Amino acid sequence: MGLVGIATEKILSSFSVFLFLTIILLAVARRISTSVLLFSLQSAIITAEVLATGFQEKLASAYLVGILIFVIKVVAIPRAFFVLTKRLKTVHDVKASTTPSQSVFVVAVMIYLSYAAVHSYGGAVRAPGDSLAAAIALILTGAFLMVSRKKAVMQVLGLLVMENGIFLAALLTTFGMPLVIEIGIFFDILMGLLLMGIFMFRISDTFEHLDVSKLRRLRG
Amino acid sequence: MLLLLPLMIPVLGAGFILLFRNPRFATRAALLVGALEVLALGAVIWQVHLQGELQEGRYLRADALSAFFLMSIAFVSGIVLIYSSGYLRHTGEGRFSSPRWFYALVFMFLFTMISVCLSANLGLLWIMMEGTTLASALLVGFYNTEGAIEAGWKYLIVCTVGIAFALFGTIVLYLAAVKAGMSPASGLDWISLMNAAPGMALDPHLVKLAFVFVIVGYGTKIGFVPMHSWLPDAHAEAPTPISALLSAVLLNCAMYALMRYDVIVSRTVGPAFSHTLLLIFGVLSMVVAGLLILVQRNLKRLLAYSSIEHMGIIAIGLGLGGPLGLLGALLHTFNHSAAKSLLFFGAGNVRHNMGTLRIDGIQGISRTMPQTSAALVVGGLAIVGLPPFSLFISEFAILSEAFAQAHYLVAALFLIVLSVVFGGFAYHLFRMLCGKPGRRPENARLIPSEYISMGIAALCVLYFGVRIPHFFNVLLHEAMAVLR
Amino acid sequence: MKIMVDILQLLLLILGAPLVRGIIARFKARLQKRRGASIWRPYVELFKLLRKEDLTPPTSSAVFRLAPVLLFGCTVCVAAFIPVAHVSALLGSRGDFFLLVYLLGLGRFSLSLGALDGGSAFGGMGASREALISSLAEVPFLMGLVALAILSSRADITGMVAWTLHQNIFNISTVHILAFTSLAMVVLAETGRMPVDNPTTHLELTMIHEGMLLEYSGPSLALIEWASAIKLHAMLALLIALFGPWGMAAGGSGWGLATALLLYCAKVTVLMVLLSVIESAAAKLRMYLVPDFLGVASAVSALAVIFTMWVKR
Repeated sequence: MGLVGIATEKILSSFSVFLFLTIILLAVARRISTSVLLFSLQSAIITAEVLATGFQEKLASAYLVGILIFVIKVVAIPRAFFVLTKRLKTVHDVKASTTPSQSVFVVAVMIYLSYAAVHSYGGAVRAPGDSLAAAIALILTGAFLMVSRKKAVMQVLGLLVMENGIFLAALLTTFGMPLVIEIGIFFDILMGLLLMGIFMFRISDTFEHLDVSKLRRLRG
Repeated sequence: MLLLLPLMIPVLGAGFILLFRNPRFATRAALLVGALEVLALGAVIWQVHLQGELQEGRYLRADALSAFFLMSIAFVSGIVLIYSSGYLRHTGEGRFSSPRWFYALVFMFLFTMISVCLSANLGLLWIMMEGTTLASALLVGFYNTEGAIEAGWKYLIVCTVGIAFALFGTIVLYLAAVKAGMSPASGLDWISLMNAAPGMALDPHLVKLAFVFVIVGYGTKIGFVPMHSWLPDAHAEAPTPISALLSAVLLNCAMYALMRYDVIVSRTVGPAFSHTLLLIFGVLSMVVAGLLILVQRNLKRLLAYSSIEHMGIIAIGLGLGGPLGLLGALLHTFNHSAAKSLLFFGAGNVRHNMGTLRIDGIQGISRTMPQTSAALVVGGLAIVGLPPFSLFISEFAILSEAFAQAHYLVAALFLIVLSVVFGGFAYHLFRMLCGKPGRRPENARLIPSEYISMGIAALCVLYFGVRIPHFFNVLLHEAMAVLR
Repeated sequence: MKIMVDILQLLLLILGAPLVRGIIARFKARLQKRRGASIWRPYVELFKLLRKEDLTPPTSSAVFRLAPVLLFGCTVCVAAFIPVAHVSALLGSRGDFFLLVYLLGLGRFSLSLGALDGGSAFGGMGASREALISSLAEVPFLMGLVALAILSSRADITGMVAWTLHQNIFNISTVHILAFTSLAMVVLAETGRMPVDNPTTHLELTMIHEGMLLEYSGPSLALIEWASAIKLHAMLALLIALFGPWGMAAGGSGWGLATALLLYCAKVTVLMVLLSVIESAAAKLRMYLVPDFLGVASAVSALAVIFTMWVKR
């Protein structure tokens, strides 16, 4: 095996460690720009994983998907976020409803739960347990971010982290779905983000802030 | 080729409508495109009836179940388009807020919903379900008021999260299929999954896990109770034609998607698991929504909760299974659409004439707006399930099935909730109809578009209660056959 | 022969401590675009203090005079546990990591008592803050070490280091990364560096460690300053030994020891640069945020322990 082969194997067996680190750092991040950078890093790790899988399983479609992820989630979406936060003139604070140490405890519990879930479904999947647990932890962390961060931008980021987790779980268990479906999913995500961007502009125009916890007019 | 028509007409029509800046021309163009669309759908339904099923390429397929739902879509979209042609005379210009944008977005919305019904591939089904959320988000926030934007944002976020869960469920099902030996290309194809279902019984846990995620995910779009938080807001803040489309068509499409998964899972691990889950969500939705109807203060929110309750009833019908349960559930999707559209149209009129939707701000409309009140009364009686209206038939069928299967608790809850809802509706309607009129509306007479659409809906609700037309009956039974 | 090497390691830790402090101060100055004092300054200062008179407050008791000695003794004992260039230490197999943590605790305790005994308000304030921080830092410290102990099935530091030496450096271990994160945060808290405490502050209200020193002078102060320098050096050496020990000599050959020593100097330099960067970049945390900082460290170390469950042994 050449150098690429060794690197691929190392990536596949140990990338989940770095995903866990990004998850913990996302829990303690206090600024929107930090969170967006962490999301970008996460997507880069997942891209590496996709490319490594493509190399190992000799799937051409995996390379295409990997490039798509890189272009969309590592480059385009974070740039869009930075442009958006500048145009919306939002304050940089993440407005978390939990202190950093509480967030880290919640994330630790979630990592534990994801490992427990993977162990109970033990031999059902081919992937190493670590990576699948990382995927499930990403999904749970995305949900946690959406619930505990009160800025609209952070809600969208939590959604994107969740999608990252779902995509990673799909990749690990089935080595990718038919290409057309994958492209359709990406297109949907992009359109969804476009719409959320439009809505955020409208929210900030009408309400003068982006704090979703204050959007409580409709109740009952 | 035929299957591509109902898909291309809305898309091309949307582009076509955007060319007309004049609202009147845009409206006429919309009506034209709508008529073409209904014709195309009719052609597809007729062909399916003659041939059994139509297939186009690998991703599009129409069988009897799709045809049944397409009929419902055609009916509701037809009357909604007729109603909106008159309703939009009240809206002004604005970025994304003019009539031509309204119609263009409505047709894109219709395109996604029709694609849901025509998908042969579960992946495409998911993509189009997500597409319905995206296409309708701007419609929900159409008025750009504070409430509309909040409702639109909540709708977008909650439904996208829900659909993400459904994606996970789809992936798990795909995994189970691939593990059972299906080729990756056909792992998401509904027919292939149906054929290979017994083979997938080797790993029941994965299939059950898939269904749990799917029912939570698509259940968010349907409006099942723990996941329903977006529904009252979206239906209340959206423009009236859009509320009608959401309640009457979108919820049905999501239910259609759930039905597809239910059949696969029932074939693989037996009906007990999926039907129990459907019963739980159905009963929960019905009870919670039914009780919350009593305390509503806004007319459209009241109607929204009623939609949740009826979706619960449909889920109960599906969960019970059996010939009567299935018949009741499918028939109810159609009947509920008709009655709910009628009610929303009446509510729209009330809003334009009285300026508010708050129930305590509306009084004495039986004297000031007699035609609209008649519509509201007819719709209200229909929606609570009184004979001789059509909802009575479908609810009776579901109830009979519950008794036949000795699910006495479900039947008892069903009857109790229906009585409570009857009381609630009667109370709210009486408060609005009787009493001294507070404000004299300027123009209480219905314009042609309004009374045509409301008239058709009312007639449908009345007629189907007495006698189900033969062709409809045939389609209904063909659809049921698909589900067995 | 082994004893000689171990004693030399201990002397390196003790005598090199002021140099470490001097180099860190110089790095920080350079980062802040100042020229900074000479790296040998702390030695000059220690000699100066040793020649001065030792004044004690009239209201103090023997505790005040004994506290610096006890602190120095405990810190030297701790330094005797830590292997530097050779996989052994003077007290290596005679105590496990609990002893190490609690010797440090004993030292801190004695200093707090001395500060309280000194009778000044700032002594009391510094002592109470120090007590809060140290009680909160104890948990992540212990748990991080427990995680490593579980992995290596050894309780003494030298045993853990020996186990780590046998592992492949390219196998990334989640437990180690998490334990390193939490132990690094603990080191910042224990040694009183930014962002927990500012070692160069002159404002009494922001003092934690410095507040306890205000009443001391002369040789007592020299002992305390030296002890805190030794603590810093020992903690850095502990981090290097537990997480990056490759290059340590296992045998007794001269060449092996020389290379190991050079490698150690390189690693310590890296850590010192890292510490300077963190100290210059981070703002001091307000007092009520310090428990949060240590809470994050606790959560991360708890996660490290949990992860030991899933590591293939």
